[in-house]
Amino acid sequence: MKKTKQTAEVKIRKHKTTNSKLLSFFNDCKWQRQLIFMILPGIIIVFIFNYIPMYGALIAFEKYDSTKGIFGSEWVGLKYFSMFFSNPLAFRLIKNTFLLGFYSLLFGFPAPIILALLMDQIRRIRFKKVIQTISYFPHFISMVVVVGMIKEFFAADGLVNSLREYFGADVISFLTQPSWFRTIFVGSGIWQGIGWGTIIYLAALSNVDPQLNEAAAIDGANRWQKVLYISWPAILPTTTIMLIFAISGILGSDFQKVLLMYSPSTYSTSDIISTYVYREGIQGGRYEYTTAIGLLMNMVSCVLIITANKASRKLTENSLW
Amino acid sequence: MTFKNKKQEREIRNRIKRSKGDLIFDVVNAVIMLMVAGIMLLPMVHVLSVSLSSGPESVKGGFFFWPKGEINFIGYETAFKDPLIMRSYLNSVIYAIGNVLFTLFFTSLTAYPLSISEFRLKKFVTIFLTITMFINGGLIPTYMLMRDIGLVNKIWVMMIPFCVGAYNVILFRTFFTNLPAALREAAIIDGAKEIQVFTKIYVPLSKAIFATIGLFTLVSKWNDWFTALIYLNDEKKYPMQMILRKILFNTAGTQKMSNEIMNMMSSMKVTSENIKMAAIIITILPVLCVYPFLQKYFVKGVFVGTVKG
Repeated sequence: MKKTKQTAEVKIRKHKTTNSKLLSFFNDCKWQRQLIFMILPGIIIVFIFNYIPMYGALIAFEKYDSTKGIFGSEWVGLKYFSMFFSNPLAFRLIKNTFLLGFYSLLFGFPAPIILALLMDQIRRIRFKKVIQTISYFPHFISMVVVVGMIKEFFAADGLVNSLREYFGADVISFLTQPSWFRTIFVGSGIWQGIGWGTIIYLAALSNVDPQLNEAAAIDGANRWQKVLYISWPAILPTTTIMLIFAISGILGSDFQKVLLMYSPSTYSTSDIISTYVYREGIQGGRYEYTTAIGLLMNMVSCVLIITANKASRKLTENSLW
Repeated sequence: MTFKNKKQEREIRNRIKRSKGDLIFDVVNAVIMLMVAGIMLLPMVHVLSVSLSSGPESVKGGFFFWPKGEINFIGYETAFKDPLIMRSYLNSVIYAIGNVLFTLFFTSLTAYPLSISEFRLKKFVTIFLTITMFINGGLIPTYMLMRDIGLVNKIWVMMIPFCVGAYNVILFRTFFTNLPAALREAAIIDGAKEIQVFTKIYVPLSKAIFATIGLFTLVSKWNDWFTALIYLNDEKKYPMQMILRKILFNTAGTQKMSNEIMNMMSSMKVTSENIKMAAIIITILPVLCVYPFLQKYFVKGVFVGTVKG
């Protein structure tokens, strides 16, 4: 605060050495006002689209009547929260949400690390660049196209089944069998994200001093030892942070992808909390009930991210705040 | 070891003898990398091949990566003739460009004052923005807000909401902060207004960050279908992704096509497979065109957030 004041005073002095102090102060206010005018539209936009819905989430605790407004409506306490937990579907939804996130983490998290370590071993720079460029591409393909391709390829007469037929295996209707949903979801998720995920690890690996590797080579270290004792320690801090945040995002499986991929026949494994909220809320109009569920999810992920941040600060001395 | 240039580096590295094990590893690794690249590309190649295959071949399915039968472009012609597809394509272009303009304009304007150390509201605004990174109202309250302010089924809902986001503001601010502060001070002393400093000095010096955020926003908006799913209910306003979803996921989409196309389809000149796959390629095409430009900014783009769609 003191520093700000000082710089402001310096500014005033710089500004108008000839004018009186009062006029300088006026000028000072004026330039701050210009800045305020510039920042105002952004603040208004954020306020409307980010803050008003936070206030709107209060309807989770009341029997909302749009004519009476949020504070005029009747408060019902935690009615909608207990309603969710007494719903026979609740257990399945929570289980599906958790398992989908867990499998995505289990297979989706190590995949880019392994790819990055392998890419780092490529000696020819041009070849490496080409592989990188190709592997990033799926990240930019829209979800509709990705799921559309999944549905084409895994259909009864699709690419995968014709390959199975060629090798004499049975045709499986992948898309209608609940047991295949998670596998396809996680697998295609890796296809979409593995290349893009390597960027952050490759950035960490590019900071490794090449002399380390050369010295190790002279001392007779083989490739595996170099990876284990040089590359891996180099990406460990990044990995820790990424892992902690991946864990905190375990409930946030890509809801848009599930929405495109699932069908009533696979609900027993594919229906997650967010899709349930979408169906009951947007399509069914049960606003208060679904807002309560959404709020619950938000609170859980908030707790997770705070815990993750704490853990990351303790373990790696890196944190968001 | 430091090298004068790449050529010298390669020469010296080649002189270092590779052990047999090393060599085997390199070969295996290269094969793995080629396989990875293949897995990344083959789905797209297959889609392209089906779209170009002759009608009867395209519906048979199968495992192939080259057009079967006579190569035909009727799938594309049909898609381009379809008024629904063409309108939605145009809609997508408008939404994506509109969203980019709103995003760049308001985000950079918000970030500029935050990059000035003397700005008195700096701390407050930073906290105000950071909170939105962790807490949000959720799907339903957001929907109710859009309904209450009358944005449902308006094209503006595709361009304006959330055009100022905390991540992008931080990126802009960081970039602006790295510009020499003396530039601004000198201009202010010469009597320039803040807005002039911003438009005449900061914007021209910040092309890189404008390009980064602009391109990533462009692609993410082009790929966006969910906003349209929730807020738009008039098919004429649908973006391409929504029409594509219709074409790919249920037959109702193909039924909507004109009689002329139906006739062609019944004569097997063009099949729904042709059209579906052609539609996918047409949808990806703009992203493919932007991709070379995007490439420059990949590393920065990691921090722009995910490209959802």
